[in-house]
Amino acid sequence: MQIRAASDVGGTFTDLVFYDIDTGTGRCGTVRTAKVDTTPPNFEAGVMNSLAKGGVSPAEISFFAHGATVVINAITERRGVRVGLITTQGFRDVLEIARGNRPDLFNFQFHKPLPFVQRELRAEVRERTNYKGEIEQSVEQDELPGIVARFKAAGVEAIAVCFLHAYRNPANEVAVARRLRDLWPEVSVLASHQLSREWREYERTSTTVLSAYVHPIAKRYIESLESRLKAGGYRQPPYMMLSNGGIATVAMAKENPIAMVESGPSSGIYAAAHLGHLIGRRNLLVLDIGGTTAKCTLVENGEVRITTEYFVERTRRTPGYPIQTPVSEIVEIGNGGGSIAWVDAGGKLHVGPQSAGARPGPVAYGRGGTEPTTTDANLLLGRIDPKSFGGGEITPDWDAVRAAFDTLGRKLGVSGVEAARGVVRIANANMTNALRLVSTNKGYDPREFALMAFGGGGPMHAVALAEELKIPEVIVPVNSSVFSAWGMLLTDLRRDYVHTHLLPLTPENAPAALRQFRDMEAEAAANVSQDGIALGDTAMSCEHFADMRYQGQEHTVKVPVAIGAQGIDLAATIDRFHAAHQKRYTYRLPNPVQIVNFHVIARVAVPKPDLPRQQATGRKLGDTLIGRRIVDFDAHGVHDAAIYDGLRLEPGMELEGPAIVQEPMVTLVVPPGNKVSTDEFGSYHVHLRQS
Amino acid sequence: MSSDVFTQEIIKDALVAVGYEMFDAMIRTSMSPIIYETTDFAVGVTDARGNLLAQGNGVAAFLATLDTAVQSTLLHYPKAGDVLPGDVIITNIPYEGGGTHLSDVVILVPVFHEHRLIAWTVNKAHWTEVGGAQAGSVSTNASEIFQEGLQFPFIKLYEQGRLNEALVAVIRANVRLPESTIGDMHAGVAAARVGARRVSELVDKYGVDHVVAAMDGLLDYGERMTREELARLPAGTYEAQDVVETDGVGGGPFTIKVKVTISAQKITVDYTGSCGPAKGPINCSYTGLVTGVRCVFKAITNPEIPANGGCFRLLEIICPKGTLISAQAPAPVSLYYEPLITAMDVMWKALAPVMPERLPAGHQRAVNATFVAGIHPDTKELFVMGEPLVGGWGGASGRDGDGGQFCCANGETYNIPTELFESRYGLKVEQYAFHDEDGGAGQFRGGKGVVLDYRVTADEAFVTYASSRTQVPPWGSHGGQPGSLNGLQIIRSDGSVSHHEMCTAVRVAKGELIRLTTATGGGFGDPRQRPRELVERDLRNGYVTPEQARRDYGHVAAR
Repeated sequence: MQIRAASDVGGTFTDLVFYDIDTGTGRCGTVRTAKVDTTPPNFEAGVMNSLAKGGVSPAEISFFAHGATVVINAITERRGVRVGLITTQGFRDVLEIARGNRPDLFNFQFHKPLPFVQRELRAEVRERTNYKGEIEQSVEQDELPGIVARFKAAGVEAIAVCFLHAYRNPANEVAVARRLRDLWPEVSVLASHQLSREWREYERTSTTVLSAYVHPIAKRYIESLESRLKAGGYRQPPYMMLSNGGIATVAMAKENPIAMVESGPSSGIYAAAHLGHLIGRRNLLVLDIGGTTAKCTLVENGEVRITTEYFVERTRRTPGYPIQTPVSEIVEIGNGGGSIAWVDAGGKLHVGPQSAGARPGPVAYGRGGTEPTTTDANLLLGRIDPKSFGGGEITPDWDAVRAAFDTLGRKLGVSGVEAARGVVRIANANMTNALRLVSTNKGYDPREFALMAFGGGGPMHAVALAEELKIPEVIVPVNSSVFSAWGMLLTDLRRDYVHTHLLPLTPENAPAALRQFRDMEAEAAANVSQDGIALGDTAMSCEHFADMRYQGQEHTVKVPVAIGAQGIDLAATIDRFHAAHQKRYTYRLPNPVQIVNFHVIARVAVPKPDLPRQQATGRKLGDTLIGRRIVDFDAHGVHDAAIYDGLRLEPGMELEGPAIVQEPMVTLVVPPGNKVSTDEFGSYHVHLRQS
Repeated sequence: MSSDVFTQEIIKDALVAVGYEMFDAMIRTSMSPIIYETTDFAVGVTDARGNLLAQGNGVAAFLATLDTAVQSTLLHYPKAGDVLPGDVIITNIPYEGGGTHLSDVVILVPVFHEHRLIAWTVNKAHWTEVGGAQAGSVSTNASEIFQEGLQFPFIKLYEQGRLNEALVAVIRANVRLPESTIGDMHAGVAAARVGARRVSELVDKYGVDHVVAAMDGLLDYGERMTREELARLPAGTYEAQDVVETDGVGGGPFTIKVKVTISAQKITVDYTGSCGPAKGPINCSYTGLVTGVRCVFKAITNPEIPANGGCFRLLEIICPKGTLISAQAPAPVSLYYEPLITAMDVMWKALAPVMPERLPAGHQRAVNATFVAGIHPDTKELFVMGEPLVGGWGGASGRDGDGGQFCCANGETYNIPTELFESRYGLKVEQYAFHDEDGGAGQFRGGKGVVLDYRVTADEAFVTYASSRTQVPPWGSHGGQPGSLNGLQIIRSDGSVSHHEMCTAVRVAKGELIRLTTATGGGFGDPRQRPRELVERDLRNGYVTPEQARRDYGHVAAR
């Protein structure tokens, strides 16, 4: 017997998902889970705890995938190392000037985010490449020993190098990086071209600096995880989850740790797309509601959108820090189960973005929280089963919850229960607006999508949101509270290569375009062999995309590029571009078309068994009924609702609201008139009442 | 009260979200980089009478341009039946509501429920081209509005859903880039219609009475929140004045004066005593002035409250007709933003002494609009580079000013990356860096201005530039020192250097250097109070030279 396992370290919990494979039949057993507390700063301890709690010995594991928040935490908690930056002469202040924008328009006390490298540690060297990639001046190597001495004296632990136009020709960066490693072998050296081959020097510099900032920490973390697993008897290196929905070898992850920055959310989105594929739902709105935030994205025709325009700490009021790394496109808002409800000086009720977190947590936890949260509201309205609150490990502090809502209600001139309804409504309105941002605001009609919801709070709110947006169907995967970890067991090795190379897409340029793609494939193949991937005889496969635009325009659209035996099919590619542009930007132009970025997705499939399918055993719906309780469905009234055990439902069963479908960590709220069925993978489908 | 209070809240939030949605729609439908990249536009919703409900802004300086446009439209179409479902109104008249300069065009869509007018959705965007003497419809030397382009005086672009083809033909015949201009026009209509549809959906869902009540509620909420803030401001009367140095055609300096009176009930901002109009295009319309004052009003009350008409019920603005900042036809207004920013700056300067927690010392106070045109040496095609420049903001109570930031009239404005810049234009950027000119010393330093060097790689290039704060530096606050100056230098092959404050199409030859310098912001507090370790950190960082450390901060180097 072998075990495939994945662990996802979140802010509050570390999740483990695993199943065993019968080595004789190749069949896999039931998916099992374990949840333990996250253990900062030694996150690997939590991972080992989760294995222990699940009764899994590392020696039994044949495949282990891991997603960690170690990179994003090191950035947001400012626990990275001291970085020195080397730039082209005349451009060391680019990191501090940034893009000059001031999103908080009317705040004259606005301050842009502080640079991660102070000016005294931003060195310049004489060198220059022009925009065509021609070296105008090679590097003055003599300047480097002095810079290294300065950096050493200042306690620098990692050096970032970013030169102008290195995305086009990295030769000068390569030379400097090599010399730096000679001069100072112990230091981490990251050159921009290793991380991003896209233009925009501020964004690329920021990417390089943040990579350097987390590099030693991520490396240490991965190494200690490796050694703990090895000590337990695990014989392979683990795989690390990336932000692009794929996994990577530890070697690649250590080289480019910033690629792990959004690994948790991305595996959930990838899992949603994968499940959608299995059950024939290729157009999805995906919603992941956690403790502090809700994240949403749109999957069209089975494709998860990947962007390199990613930012940390960006809000409507602050520009944040850009990172040019491939990340699943997500809109994130400060609305989760722990979001705090409050009333402002003008008498308006708000929910979030402040969160009660795990400490003190919702009022019902009885850990000293007094400000009511969305979770408290759902509890007071009877939606959450008090007996299985917090996985059955917490007895709700009812007096504190009622007192908190009475206080809130007094400020609003309503009863406590009405205030709780208001909190849920406002939270729903916030999430509806976020879902609009990824759908209607980008030209998509939600009625053509299914809403797939997961995370601790997803199933609680999903049906109400679908109703508001006129989405006909809600899908909640089984074990949805550990869905992100589950996604890691489904993914393959994946690397995204994005290169800026401005090229008008004309017949004359078609060979050059093909050459660019072939060069990138060769780079991918070299990386795969460098990684020493030994997964049997699975070959690498490549997909080709291009970010294209009309000449004279700025904004680009990503489209798949058709490559056949005759080379690039120009007509088909340009047609796709026109259609995609019209969808995204409402119009098409007669202008010539230009490629800005070439994008190759290289995948190596990980051999894995098919997901087990459930068979109906003839169990009756009545046998899955846990009981009944009074549930407040807000506008749909207060009802004596049937409570079902979700894990006992079978394909072919159908139930109707008012109802609640429960798992130990999941509550699916089904208002009156909506029908629920399950599929062979155990996911619940809510078919919304047609109004 | 019932839980209906929450429905009201949700409608209000939905109205605010309409602003965001129209903002995205404008970016989505626009064909002009100046709209979708520089976000030089604003979108919004007003009630039937033109009270601002919600606004999505790319730049701060459009804050009063939507609601006042509706109010003026209602004066042009006063009777019931004058405006009908399916109508779309267009205006760019500077001297009435919504007006700034001719390039900024307002599109208005009335929203009806059955036959009752319930709202307007509006946008204003910088069109690529509206004709006139200069390409791009901006110059530093126009003497009449007629040289600046076409005027659309509150006319119907659509009548009951039918496009006014005659008007479109006139536009097409009078602009240099008709496809772009007509594209911008359609984008404006599309964005306004997206908002109108969303408002109609709200009415269908919640009923017209609830939606109208929510509109009134939203305005009252804005007023209530602002009144709370007003009570915290120091009552009294505060005055200041400053100048715009030149009008591009030899006039100047032009003085702008203000008297601000704060009470718990309202703020009165009185510009009586400001100078008369300029010959050159640095006149600003009354709408522009209102926008500027509203921005500062938001800054000193609570910038986090969504801007709506209710907030501004507590604001009174006084300015006689025909001053530099209440321009009358046919004054040229291309560069209206420089006096607008100056009007903001004098109000800011008047109040800074008593509101140190809200208002830092003076900043670079100029858009520093720079245009360079020529033939690209590789593509052999015409290039026109146009950009605003970042500069230094003033030191503030408790914190140094930011360096390299766009001015108070900008907002979601982005600089052009050097890597894009060099591929597009026949110019090589040799440095984009903080300079170390004198100025801005204080207990909390002014933010650094920048120096940008463009080496001309085209055979020849032509530079147009307009700025202010070219002779009088940004002011210090609470004993801080003034900042430094904005300016343009051209460094010729023979080593000679020319200096410019405003210029149009000055020729620069291949290999010569265009050097743009922006001001360092004013300092806050006595520089001698700056802790020694901060001065030493500034020395290590090169923000302060050893000479400045000794002279301005009294720093004695350790031996």
